[in-house]
Formats: sequence, structure tokens, C-alpha cells
Amino acid sequence: MLFLDPHVHMTSRTTDDYEAMAKAGIRAVIEPAFWLGQPRTQVGAFLDYFSSLVGWERFRAAQFGIHHFCAIGLNSKEANNEPLAKEVLELVPRFAMKEGVVAVGEIGYDEITPAEERAFAWQLDFAARNDLVVMVHSPHRDKKRGIVRSLDLAAECKVPMHKLVIDHNNEETVQSVLDRGAWAAFTIYPHTKMGSERMVEIVKKYGPKQVIVDSSADWGVSDPLSVPKTAALMRERGVDESAIEAACWGNALHAYGQSGQIDVDALTRPMAIDQSRLFHDNSVLRGQTPKQAAGVPN
Amino acid sequence: MAAGQGTAPLDPTPLIDSMVQARLAPAGRDWLARALAEQAGDVDDARFGQLLSAASRIARRQPLQPSPALRMTFRAAADGLDPERWTLLEAVRVRLILAHPQRANDRGQAALESAFQYADEGELCALYRSLALLPEPKRFAWRAGEGCRSNMRSVFEAVACDTPYPWRWFDPIAWRQCVMKALFIGAPVARIQGLAARRDEELARMALDLADERRSAGRPVPADLWNVVGPCGGARADASIAGELDAANAIAAANPDGPRAAAALQQERRRAGAAGAR
Repeated sequence: MLFLDPHVHMTSRTTDDYEAMAKAGIRAVIEPAFWLGQPRTQVGAFLDYFSSLVGWERFRAAQFGIHHFCAIGLNSKEANNEPLAKEVLELVPRFAMKEGVVAVGEIGYDEITPAEERAFAWQLDFAARNDLVVMVHSPHRDKKRGIVRSLDLAAECKVPMHKLVIDHNNEETVQSVLDRGAWAAFTIYPHTKMGSERMVEIVKKYGPKQVIVDSSADWGVSDPLSVPKTAALMRERGVDESAIEAACWGNALHAYGQSGQIDVDALTRPMAIDQSRLFHDNSVLRGQTPKQAAGVPN
Repeated sequence: MAAGQGTAPLDPTPLIDSMVQARLAPAGRDWLARALAEQAGDVDDARFGQLLSAASRIARRQPLQPSPALRMTFRAAADGLDPERWTLLEAVRVRLILAHPQRANDRGQAALESAFQYADEGELCALYRSLALLPEPKRFAWRAGEGCRSNMRSVFEAVACDTPYPWRWFDPIAWRQCVMKALFIGAPVARIQGLAARRDEELARMALDLADERRSAGRPVPADLWNVVGPCGGARADASIAGELDAANAIAAANPDGPRAAAALQQERRRAGAAGAR
């Protein structure tokens, strides 16, 4: 089975992770812009970060046979530095409509402050005006209220619910997201957000419609193989194949594919790796066999 | 012509147009016409960058596949620049870049710099491919060097291969690094233009050092390396090739297929010699 991890911060991960992910069947990833574990102090840091998401990281992923897409946005934590946030919001339109950018994200609330809400609303409005998909990060603390308020704000900003993905859901929040017709994503984290067992129960209870599984793996203790591992547990616990496929591949493709930036046929074809990637021209290789696991000489 | 001497601005715009128009869908042609009209009325740097990005929404990275006849005309009009491996999206972007109304002055240079700063991988490739076609290409020599320093192979090849830029405009340090990096990463040296014209003893020394390093590490010496050395390697090159032949002959002695391996290497040497004479 093929997998899509629609929320994973690959810039924080090693090439070992990429190799293991490719081996486990992960064919594509979506990397939303977020913070780096500590706040940035100047806008140039965001410029270079956004550039790396559409440049080097995409190239790095391709070397392992993984298609890399991204979402561009100002995250909620750093929205609280308002002078900086204002400058970052000016960058967002220059990146959000580049090739392979599938959403504005991850945006939303952290502490649910007025500053966060201003940046969130600005980006929701920008997405609505440009017909873009939105990936919403929901807060760790006061999650339920944060999610309801995110749904309300998105509706106020005229973001259609079928273009809205609310991430980091749990048992307490899923119904409110499904009721509004938005996509409900779940982050499988070893300790905090959701475990695979709980995820299996949610799919059994609510069905796979509108449900998306992701890893949100980053620089913390997290697992970039969460999606295939959860799929395996679903299978073991008797969830049928079509439901597994929807939650771990099809739904996210459908949601983010609305950007027009994902060529599904290309995802299902064996990917031409690295050296042959450019033009599928074997003469470029002159008889060498490109190796999936080969590093980048420099 | 010697490297670095001035050339008249090159303008294969009509040729790019003919390729692009034949391949874009009607909606894409309309978008491009509107974008060019908007640019002609002058645009700020941010909008110029956005147009380059947004081209991806009307053109894909599909191979451009220019006809052999068109390639020949293109090369003649563009100092050897060859669109053989361009994508349709790159062609659209190069078309937009060449139409920047301020391209000949400092404001245009600033607009290009801004576009480079905000570029994704695909935009970078298109920007680098356009450099040889801009007025006073030497203005962009530092920027092109940045492209050669990239670890993204696609970006490196856009700067180094199928374009006259490196041999015309790179200083000796940048030029030699460009060629050596191609050898290092296995990019096709044969597609670096002007190699025969700008080979020298220093480049040959660097290549022969690389051959020694590779042999010490028990790794193969790339055949392209002898093309880089060309006729500039002197006695050291002869000894180095003899070392390669000895290694091949040792394999030959231990292996029933060996004699053919040695013959192949000799053939390679002859080919390198012939390429050196071009």
C-alpha cells in the first residue's frame, strides 16, 4: 500500500528517516511551515526557511524517491511577535502560490491571543481570496475551544469547509470538525497527541470519510513512520482496506489535491530518482545506475 | 572569441515564442499574453517574482523537446545556448525574464536578484538558464557562481551545462570549480561548453589530483576526467593514464573478460584525445 504523510517536518529529519519512509511505502509528504523550536528574530530567517521548503528539501526528498509538497504560512506561536509577524505576512503571498505548494499552513491558534487571531484571520482571508487550501494547527492547551473558534473564523473569512483541514484532533474534537464538513486530521505522536490504538478506534467509530492520519514528526520525539504503522495496526484490528487507504492516502490527496499541485499519476508511478529525475534521460547517466540511497556529493 | 569579451545581446525570443505557443493550452497562452502585457507596463520586484512563480500554474515541467532544426537555429542565435533539456515551464519563465523592461539596467539587475532570492528549485533553473541571454551577462557572474555551489544537481546543470555562460563569463577560479564540480558529482562534462578553449595546466593538475585521490580511495576514475585534462596534462597525465591501464590489465589478467576491459580503456583514451583535439 502507498502512503502519504500529509504533515511532517522533514527539514528536522535525517536521511535515515527518508530511507525508512520510502521503504515503508511513503510516496509523498507535505511539509507545512512552522516554528523551529525557538522563535526567529528576523524576517530573513523566514525567507530562507520558506526557500528551503520549496528548494533544497524538495530536492533532498526526491533523492529518496519521495515527492515533497509544502504549505506556507506564519505559525501561531511566532504570530505573537507582531512587528515581525507583519513582515512575515508580506512574504507569504510570494511563496504560497509557488509550484508544489498545496496549502496555506500550518496556521491557527496556540495561546488564542488577539495577535494570533489577527495573523490567522489575515491568512484565512488571503487563502479564501486566492482559492487556496488551508491547514490549521490546533492548540495543545484549550484545544476544543481553539478548534471551534478556528472553524468559526474560517467560515467568517469565507474559506469553504471542503478546503479546510483541521489538524491535531482527538476524541473530544473530531465530531465538531466532521459536523462542519471540514477535514479532520490526526497526528500520531508517541506520547502527546494521539496513539495508533486510539486512532484505530476513531476510524472504527467515525468511519474514514474526512479523516486524515499524519505524523507531524519534527525535531522532538516523534515518529516519521507513524502513518504506515497506524495503517498496519488498523489492518491487524480488522479495519477494511478501503478505509485504511482513505485515511492514510486518499483523503489527504483529495483535500490537498484541490490545489492543483499534486499529479496523482506521478505519485503512483515508480519515481525516477535524483539523477534521472530531471528529464528521464538516461544519456545523462552514461551507464551509471542512480542509487536511491546515495548521498549528495559536494 | 576569448572568454569574457563582450558580445551583442542575444535575443532568441521569437524562437522561444514559437516553441511555447505551440505547446501551451489556450488558457496558458492567454495567461502569458496578459503577463507580458502587465510586465511591459513595468512591475515591481515582488510582482515580477509572483509572475515567475505563477507560470507553474499554466505550464508543467514537461520536457520541451525542441526539434533538431529549432535547436540548431536557437544555438546559432544564442551563442550556443541549447534548449534541448529545458522544460516547457522553464521556457515560459525564460520568456518572462527576457521581457523584463528594465533588464538592461540596475533596476532590472535588482529585480533578477530579488527573483533569485525568492526562487524555488524550478525558478532557479529557469533564472540560471536565462543569464547568458541578458544584456551584460558578466553582471551575474557572482550569482552564477552561487548556482555552481548548489547541491541541487538540477540547479548546477542549469548553470553549467548546455550554456556558454561559464566559459564566457566565469573568472579562472569559478570556471575551474565549475568543471571540477561536474566531474565530482558525475554531471556530464561533455555538456560544458568551451571546455577545449579554456582547458589549462592548472585545471589539468586539479583533475589529475582528483584521479590520484580516487585511485587511493579504491574508487573509479571517471572517464570524463581525461576530457578535462585534454592536452594540458603533460607527462603526469601520461603516467596517470598508464596507471589506469595497469589497473585494467591487472583485472584482465585475473578475469576472462579482462582483455576487453583493457581494450575499452584504450579506446576511451583515444576518444579523450580526439575530444581534446576538437
